[in-house]
Amino acid sequence: MVNEGAFPVEDFINAITTQLDRVQDALRLKAVNRPLTYALKDLQLELKVFVDLDAQGNVRFRPAGPNESGASTVNFGFTTITKPMIEENTVSMAATRSAPLTDLGLSPDEQQRLERMGVRNLAQLNNLRASTGMQAISRLTDVSLDRLRAAVDRGTPVVRGVTPAAPPPPRTWPTPPAPKPPVTQPPVMQPPTPRPPVPRPPTPRPPVFVPPSTRPPIMTPPIFMPPGRTPLPVMRLDPGTRQIAVMGTNLAEGAQWPEVKLNAQPLALAEAESDRLLVELPHDHQGGTLEISLPGGETLAYELALDDAPGLASSTHAEASTLLDDWAPLGDRS
Amino acid sequence: MTRPLADTLLALVGSVVDAPAYGLTVTELSLEIPLELTAAWHRGQVTILGSAPHSRWRAGFLPPVHPLRLSLTLIDEDGSGQ
Repeated sequence: MVNEGAFPVEDFINAITTQLDRVQDALRLKAVNRPLTYALKDLQLELKVFVDLDAQGNVRFRPAGPNESGASTVNFGFTTITKPMIEENTVSMAATRSAPLTDLGLSPDEQQRLERMGVRNLAQLNNLRASTGMQAISRLTDVSLDRLRAAVDRGTPVVRGVTPAAPPPPRTWPTPPAPKPPVTQPPVMQPPTPRPPVPRPPTPRPPVFVPPSTRPPIMTPPIFMPPGRTPLPVMRLDPGTRQIAVMGTNLAEGAQWPEVKLNAQPLALAEAESDRLLVELPHDHQGGTLEISLPGGETLAYELALDDAPGLASSTHAEASTLLDDWAPLGDRS
Repeated sequence: MTRPLADTLLALVGSVVDAPAYGLTVTELSLEIPLELTAAWHRGQVTILGSAPHSRWRAGFLPPVHPLRLSLTLIDEDGSGQ
């Protein structure tokens, strides 16, 4: 039975380090106005606590109260380390950028068993699978092989659609209020002037039918086809479009990001999240084949076309508009 | 005992390093002091509270004390220690 007033070990240790960070930050701020700077070298603490273990195997600490005997003594030691030591002894930030186990459909008990093996996300699971194989992981963690394979499949990168990204709104600076004119004389009262007659409100016009746009703003996910079989889905862009957004899930796997190329030239990523990529288009691009290579090895392709650029997009668009225009010269319709 | 541990430590350190300098500069400070420590929830987070003991005498109604050792060192502007 877990006692009240007990705290998880990780929360307890984080609370101590938070207090030490506050001390260090205060000493640093003090150094701004004082000629001397002190730094925390090390701290050792003997803590008398009662240790509890709940049914899930979580360890909790409860500080000893007055007149309580039988408390355990836990010795904590904190010291300062350099940045290279931190990088050597902790997980890289890139490795944490992957789908967590909670998004892979695993139960909390299965997640805890994998965490005991040092696996906290999909990238670490794939890394371990590459070294030992899925059967060994299943045997050591006592998680069924089917559940592990289903979790890996659930974390497969998927592209749901590609859209042109809206440009950021122009930054407008707030204009200062105009200074009030100085009041020198009191206002002179004038006789009221007759008001002009209020005009009648205009009669409402009937609504004008506007045909819906035939250009879909969002591209549906493409059907992956081997090259050379069927034409690629065409995505039309305005000439001023500088970024396109790739929407999907699990687009990142550890340090691996999808590679986006236009006409075999790699494009830079302005923003990269596991569910969204912002791709920078070259300023002088004229469209072409856009390829998205996902971390799992799958490659998706689109055909980018500018609306006013010479080529497929403009010729087909011009021909279609000519055929639909009843006032176009007869020679153009043939 | 509602004082965060950081405030208690800063008060202890400040009482030494901020003392009137009688021609002396503190280059290294080591403190060994018993503290009454506990933990409490504050704004949704666990906070460690610590303060000096109520008394030097042991009593059945006072919380136990926890020995704490703290070391500070004077550092140069480039971050290297003395």
